[in-house]
Amino acid sequence: MPRFSSPDETAPDTGRRRFLKTGLGGALLLSGASLSAGLSGCATTPAGLQPSPSSEIPDSYRFRFLTHQDIVLFEALLPAIVGSALTEQPDLRRQQLRATIERIDAGIVQFGPANQAELRKLFDLLNLGLTRITVARVWSSWANVTTAEANAFLERWRTSSVGLFNNGYIALTKISNVAFYGHRDHWAVSGYPGPPEWATKSLPQFQTSA
Amino acid sequence: MAVTDPIAEGLAKGWAVTDGATLDQDQTFEADVVVVGTGAGGGTTAEILAKAGLSVIMVEEGRLYHQKDFKMDELAAYASLYQEGMSRVTRDGAIAILQGRCVGGSTTVNWTSSFRTPEPTLNYWADHFGLDGLRPDQLAPWFDDRHQRHNIAPWQVPPNANNDTLKRACEQLGWSWAVIPRNVKGCWNLGYCGVGCPTNAKQGALTTTVPGALEHGAQLLHGLRADRLVLNQDRISHLEATPFAADSITPKPVRIQIRARHFVVAASALGTPGLLLRSEMPDPYDRLGKRTFIHPVNATLAEMPEKTDPYYGAPQSIYSDEFNFKLGVDGPAGFKLEVPPLHPAMASGVLPGHGEVMADNLSKLPWLQSMLALMRDGFHPDSQGGTVSLRDDGSPVLDYPVSDYLWQGLRQAYLRMAEAQFAAGARQVRLIHMDSPWYRTWAEARAAIQDIPMRLHRARLFTAHQMGGCGMGKDPRESVVDGDGRHHQVSNLSVHDASLFPTSIGANPQLSVYTLAARNSHQLASRLNA
Repeated sequence: MPRFSSPDETAPDTGRRRFLKTGLGGALLLSGASLSAGLSGCATTPAGLQPSPSSEIPDSYRFRFLTHQDIVLFEALLPAIVGSALTEQPDLRRQQLRATIERIDAGIVQFGPANQAELRKLFDLLNLGLTRITVARVWSSWANVTTAEANAFLERWRTSSVGLFNNGYIALTKISNVAFYGHRDHWAVSGYPGPPEWATKSLPQFQTSA
Repeated sequence: MAVTDPIAEGLAKGWAVTDGATLDQDQTFEADVVVVGTGAGGGTTAEILAKAGLSVIMVEEGRLYHQKDFKMDELAAYASLYQEGMSRVTRDGAIAILQGRCVGGSTTVNWTSSFRTPEPTLNYWADHFGLDGLRPDQLAPWFDDRHQRHNIAPWQVPPNANNDTLKRACEQLGWSWAVIPRNVKGCWNLGYCGVGCPTNAKQGALTTTVPGALEHGAQLLHGLRADRLVLNQDRISHLEATPFAADSITPKPVRIQIRARHFVVAASALGTPGLLLRSEMPDPYDRLGKRTFIHPVNATLAEMPEKTDPYYGAPQSIYSDEFNFKLGVDGPAGFKLEVPPLHPAMASGVLPGHGEVMADNLSKLPWLQSMLALMRDGFHPDSQGGTVSLRDDGSPVLDYPVSDYLWQGLRQAYLRMAEAQFAAGARQVRLIHMDSPWYRTWAEARAAIQDIPMRLHRARLFTAHQMGGCGMGKDPRESVVDGDGRHHQVSNLSVHDASLFPTSIGANPQLSVYTLAARNSHQLASRLNA
């Protein structure tokens, strides 16, 4: 994952860059976001056991990294990130979103401590009201952000001349895209038929007990 | 076709394999030699030393996965078989680092391309680093030996459509191309090399040298992180290590010590300098972790008129060296052209984008074709590579500045790849770049690529080949180890992996690692048995 403490990108927009280094959006602030979030009582502990609508994990999924706020953040972002690939049917859509967020959490757990710390800074920056407004320029809380507003935020970070924001964009979209399109439930969206059936039929590890 | 799993068979008959997750109390092990890492370098070393009658302990931070675990599933594989769950990047986040973390190391997840070290590279090493013992004719028998060990031969099956596109493009444009030699035996041509070979056809360390070492009495401790080599005077007395729980990420509150006469580190071009830095090994000329090379990779994507099914078939079977050494070994940055396989998670992770644009691009997957360029870094004064240092938690991180010299090469590579895809009949082509739309014609693409910003984060860059950081050389002021992999300052320490290389290779490096490790290990065995 991109690192959120070293905005050393040589952006052509030097005024903006200076602002980032010294002003509200600078490296100190980014590193400090976790601390501020902790001090202000934001939930930085994993959301833990959550009732899950996912069909794969019938009872519940235990979140080990994402907090309640992070989950709300992804509930706001995913409709903009995976967009039309999500189904319209409300119950199924909710299940798809939830299962994708669970896979995002499971994926991040494997990232290990150093990259988890970077993601924690990013998520805290987006979740903390002050930085959400000043740095991400998202005015409503994520629970109230529309898909259009989420998309506008992603577009700002995608097209920004500041490498740090490009990094944030890649981090958010990459973990989401991989968790969504990479899962067998969504292979059909990309026209990927899955592993060849003749092979899975003859290989021992695919037989029921494997 | 019969499929036998050498790991399952060996475990059943009682190989000395210990899962770190089962180590519940402090413990001391002892052997003639400790080998840290079980990839191309470590596996080779362990097998040769064990066959020479030495007692060997292999230490691997990743876990032992084998056929039963290889189910052609990207998400499971990326989470378990790759460093940092496939999230490893350079310090500024601008370059994605693909690297194995499992028994067999990156050879368990690579795409099987097996090239001899190019002759211009070996001659450059001899001329610039005093490595005359590694001239092409001197190394030839070692390459032959490793060809045999890993069953390396040019791929006999016709290339898949993804690779065939590169071949047709080269024929169309009059560029040189050739068939890639692969390390496989009885390959089913499925296309899932990158997620662990499901048929044991791949002849990586996991199915050859690691079993060979275990068969000769070596011991494998996996799920065990090498923390620190402990110096006593000018010799290492022991290795301190920490086992992981079965999740492979939670360290256990258990201290493991391994005493040995000799220590071979083969933990990759990030892991080896990382371990030596944590161990505060003597580094009087500040060379440790310096000159780390990565074959920076950029890529393009084409929509073809016919289906390509880029997820099926041997992932790499055709390459072109048309632009690799043409302008001299130390001229403008040269590059090797190859193709990557495209499965849905990989494709959606590599291609920047979201929303409708991403959904539309991915819906083309069965018709997509991709090309990649491996930039040959480290042969020019303006290509000094990157630096490995330690993060707060002691894990290694790579800083890799991309110089103007490399950007020029990367722009050339974008141009040649787009040209090739249009020459092969692409309907449209786009760069794996934040600012690239789809281009409809070669003329349109050429004009746009001349002006596209070549900057970190905008151009999406990758590396699957990490090299250097413990460079070898005759002069201790300019290198960490000598031409035989022996540490210049610590007498019972050797380095046997890609971190030896004083430049990048200019080709996929696995056979270079196998070969140098084999050569160095035979010499080491003679010394230790003397």
